[in-house]
Order: sequence, then structure tokens, then C-alpha cells
Amino acid sequence: MGALAHYLEELGIPTTQISLIREHTEKILPPRALWVPFALGRPLGVPNDQGFQKRVVHSALELFERQTGPVLESYEQEAPVSADTESQDSDAWSCPVNLSQPAKEQTSLEEKISAFRREITELMPWYDLGRKSTGRTAVAAFDPDRAAEILCAFLEDRTPEIREYDISLAAAIRISAQDLRTFYYEAVSSQPGAKAPASKEFADWFWTRTAAGDIIKQVKEKCSGESDRDLKLTGKMFLVPMV
Amino acid sequence: MARLKDLPEPMRSHIAELPCPEFDNTPWAQGGKLSQRRVALLSTAGLHTRDDRPFAGMEGDYRVIAGNSRANELVMTHVSTNFDRTGFQQDWNVVFPLDRLHELAEQGVIGSVADYHYSFMGAADPAQMKPSAGTLAGLLKGDNVDAAFLIPV
Repeated sequence: MGALAHYLEELGIPTTQISLIREHTEKILPPRALWVPFALGRPLGVPNDQGFQKRVVHSALELFERQTGPVLESYEQEAPVSADTESQDSDAWSCPVNLSQPAKEQTSLEEKISAFRREITELMPWYDLGRKSTGRTAVAAFDPDRAAEILCAFLEDRTPEIREYDISLAAAIRISAQDLRTFYYEAVSSQPGAKAPASKEFADWFWTRTAAGDIIKQVKEKCSGESDRDLKLTGKMFLVPMV
Repeated sequence: MARLKDLPEPMRSHIAELPCPEFDNTPWAQGGKLSQRRVALLSTAGLHTRDDRPFAGMEGDYRVIAGNSRANELVMTHVSTNFDRTGFQQDWNVVFPLDRLHELAEQGVIGSVADYHYSFMGAADPAQMKPSAGTLAGLLKGDNVDAAFLIPV
């Protein structure tokens, strides 16, 4: 991000920026930067808080008024603690959808895939409800059934044909895995009376309790053993979070 | 929070050891008062409109996001699994604050909002973004932008 600021500023475009990793910004020294103490993935701090977001934006833009630089300011106010960032012990999130068979009980690939597809079917009504309610989905490229087909075909050694985009199999697998996580998040957030799970709670649930998490871990293992460089890198880095 | 020291391992070490480009000096382009500036968003969150190409590699390419895009049109295909996407899934403004910019323009805090905004995929090598940055500078000038707001993810 800071390098991009250097390039643009050299070409006459004034820049300001948010900094998420202060140590990086201190090395790169872009012209104007506002370091914020927010979680990676949330550079404006918190979703659905217009006032908080606007104060952060304004603070970053105000750096344009400075006459000399480089400027690295700190935004000291932490993002508000909300239900979607931290759960209270007494009110911990639990998945509102009763998935029929926990993935861990399945052993063969065929059974795991069957459990995975059943999960998608069970979650689909809640996903559809959420889309109607909010008018939005962040699923990017592959609908849940198509994403599942791409991952399952790969696991079953049926090379999936990617018709929708001119992208590699590795990219299609990565985006399918991301789109499935998005689908699961939106579905479990949408049951009437349910609240959005905190990001850590959702991740814990997705990776330890669902057939989808189990399938993606299997895809990771298979990718890691492939000779194709992109598949190998995808398996190593881009399917399952480090923590 | 994103204080490096507070991140869990192995992510802390991974991020700490990412190579950072270093520059001999910091360029500085002047502009007018904030209330008269025209602001464009530049994200590195791997954002694009739903009918545009997903980010498939790490070649330093970018996507154009029209200023009249709506939340449901914007999606994210960033390569990394190591940041929280649930904020974006709830509210695009936590990553791409286009609504907030329009409000600041209506209040007269900034002059106007650009017609076009841009997104890279931040895992790309910064050096690979340099040719794209050259093209982008021309596009931004063509849109009369004199304030680029860069937002990582």
C-alpha cells in the first residue's frame, strides 16, 4: 500500500492512506498515513457504524492539510466492541442451524462429500432469506453448488472444467473455498432471531464442526501434493488460515 | 486489533517478515484545501464488481469500480485467508467507505467524490504495481482527482 503511495505521489497525485501494520509503514514511509489499531480485514474499524467509520475517514483525509511530510499519525480510539467481534461468555454464539450429520463422523471421501452437499442444502434456505433481507451477498464468483462441484471434482480426480472465467484451476479452487465460507457465514447469520457470529466463533465453528471445513482441508492436502506450482502454492497458503 | 505484537503465531512472524520496499526519500505532491479536493478510493482488498474478472494471480493488476456502484455489486477475491472477511460481508463500508465519502461531500468536508475508484490485490509484489500505478495516475488526473485515499485490508 505504501509503495503505491510513493508511485502515485511521484506522478503528482497527492495520497493519504490507512496503515494497519505500523512497522511496515515506518519502513516504507509513504507521504501521509494514519495508523489504526483495528483488526486485519477491517480498516475502517467496525461494520454498520456510520459515525465511527466517518471519523476514521475524516482523520485520514485531514492529513491532506499538512504542509510537509512524511506524516504518520495514530488513531488511538479502538473499534467499538460489538457482538460480531467478541462474544460474551454468557451469550456465546451457537450455530442456529442443526446440521444433520457432523463432518467428523464421516470417514470415506464419498461420505464426506455426501455430508458436505447435505449441509449446503440445509443452509440454502437461510442464505436465500438473508439475500432477500439485505439485498446483498458477498459470494463473489461461484454459487454454493458450483463451488462444491469444483472442490469435489478435484478431490475425486475429475478435473473440473472452469467455464465461467479464464482462470487457472488453482484460482478457481481458492475462490470456491472463499465463496463457500461466505455462503456459510451469510446463511448462519440469517435465521430469524439469530445474530451474526463473532468472526472467531464463526471460524472455529466452520473449521471444526462443518463438512465444508473438512472438505477444504482435504483439498488443501491434495493441492499440496500436486506437481503444478500454482496448486501447490494454493494448498500451502491460500485455503486454510494460519490460525 | 492489528498491533503486530498482539497477532497470534505463526501469523505474527509471517507478517513481520514480509519484505517491505524502501525508498531513499518520500515524494510530496501539494494540493488545495480538503474542502475543495476530489477524492478517489484505492483499495488493496482485491475488490471488483461482480461482473468483472476475479483476481486470479498476483500480477499487480487492478480493477475499476464506478462511483455509482452499489454494495451488492462489489465482491472480494483477495488471495489471503489471513484476515477477517466477516466485516465486509456485513457492510462494504468497513473496507470500501464509498458511502462515507459521499456523506462527507454532502457536508462540504471534501469537494467531491471521483467518478471512478480502483482496487488492487494487496498480496502482489509492490514492484509489480508500479506500471499499473503509472496508468492509474493518468486516469486519476483525467477524473480531476487531487486526493487518492489508499486503504489496505
